[in-house]
Amino acid sequence: MAFSKLKEVYTPQSSEEVVKLLKQHGHGALILGGGTFLHGLSARGLLPDVEALIDIQKLGLDYFTPSNGVVKTGASVTFTALEKQPELTKAPWLGVLKDALEYIPVQVKNMATVGGSLASSLPLFDLPVAFMTLKGSVVAAGPKGNRKISLDEFFKGQFENALQRGEFITEVLLPVPPRRTASAFLKNEKHANALAILNVGVSITLDKAGKCEEARVVFGGGVGDVPVRGRSCENALEGKRPNKELLKLASETVEADLNPISDHRASAKYRKAIAKVLVERAFETALQKLN
Amino acid sequence: MKKILNLQVNGETHEIAVNPADTLLHVLREGLGLIGTKRGCDSGGCGCCTVLVDGKAVYSCMLLALSAVGKSIVTIEGLSTDGKLDPLQEAFIKAGAVQCGFCVCGMIISSKGLLMENPHPKEAEIRQALSGNLCRCTGYHKIVEAVRIASAHS
Repeated sequence: MAFSKLKEVYTPQSSEEVVKLLKQHGHGALILGGGTFLHGLSARGLLPDVEALIDIQKLGLDYFTPSNGVVKTGASVTFTALEKQPELTKAPWLGVLKDALEYIPVQVKNMATVGGSLASSLPLFDLPVAFMTLKGSVVAAGPKGNRKISLDEFFKGQFENALQRGEFITEVLLPVPPRRTASAFLKNEKHANALAILNVGVSITLDKAGKCEEARVVFGGGVGDVPVRGRSCENALEGKRPNKELLKLASETVEADLNPISDHRASAKYRKAIAKVLVERAFETALQKLN
Repeated sequence: MKKILNLQVNGETHEIAVNPADTLLHVLREGLGLIGTKRGCDSGGCGCCTVLVDGKAVYSCMLLALSAVGKSIVTIEGLSTDGKLDPLQEAFIKAGAVQCGFCVCGMIISSKGLLMENPHPKEAEIRQALSGNLCRCTGYHKIVEAVRIASAHS
């Protein structure tokens, strides 16, 4: 790993200690979650000044707690630990998380953490898209205390987010939706270790009449610097009964919301085409979970 | 500046000096001479550096050696007992699951991690557990078959 200046790896025992270390080392400090993306960052020359890694695995942030209508997930929960939560299998509304985790190799799942996947702020990752689909927020601890940031506002660009200097993510909050809600995730990739060419998370809530009360669509992968909401698709579904024809029509609208990149893995044209297919299939999968 | 740390590898404690940025892979190979763990892509993409840390398969190229202190590390060299190969290693030989051999240490360690948690996996579970390990020779069928053979004898 190309950390020419790295001198110390700290393992603080409290959030206060982390904040103190972040202040002490300023630009030279980096929070260490599972560490699976360290190499990716250092190989791109993005960590030239890092002199201190602050490992937050000893802070006790390894909980997954449903309480008062909110599911709280500690920042240090590994993907493997998250996958083993019974709620992920039982609750259709959490399907997008369960589906997204299935794509990730076990070696990464055993190390990577929920907080790390969000703080990395790379739109090519899968879990940020899943958490955003579920209207997730992060709690950031910092010198001025804790504050909540909606994931809709959190991602600011590739490797950029709304965290201020001295802040770090302590937990992710997911609001429990109405009972008839289900979600799903699909990803187009080359192999298990590849970043997404395009991925999509969808969530749908049905009312008593079986009409779509609320839909949510989030695209990741090569769609830009941050995950992108598929608002046209959401609008096309809301208030209507989601049958095969409507899903087809709604999926056609995603083109209006996407301005994907072209790179060595896929063209923008391909990404737009695959987005339609994936969003339609993802909604079909989500709806099957409600039957 | 180097740091002195104790790593528990294959049941033995090793005192070793490491740079803070050294990966576990680097320390295993260059520091302890355990070259059964291979350096392939060195970026968490191929799986041939897989080791068990506290019983779980991880990419040793992604893990800082400093983060492995206090944990139990098992490499391919640690699977045999009294010179006798692990049944999983025997199964890989029996199934003809080794060709060039570069990926095989990672394949076996990932398979070991799977069988420790799930002694009788279905084929889909085997393939899922090995999805983070690339093999350019075998086409994977014989590797999956080897894990099934080992599973049947456990």
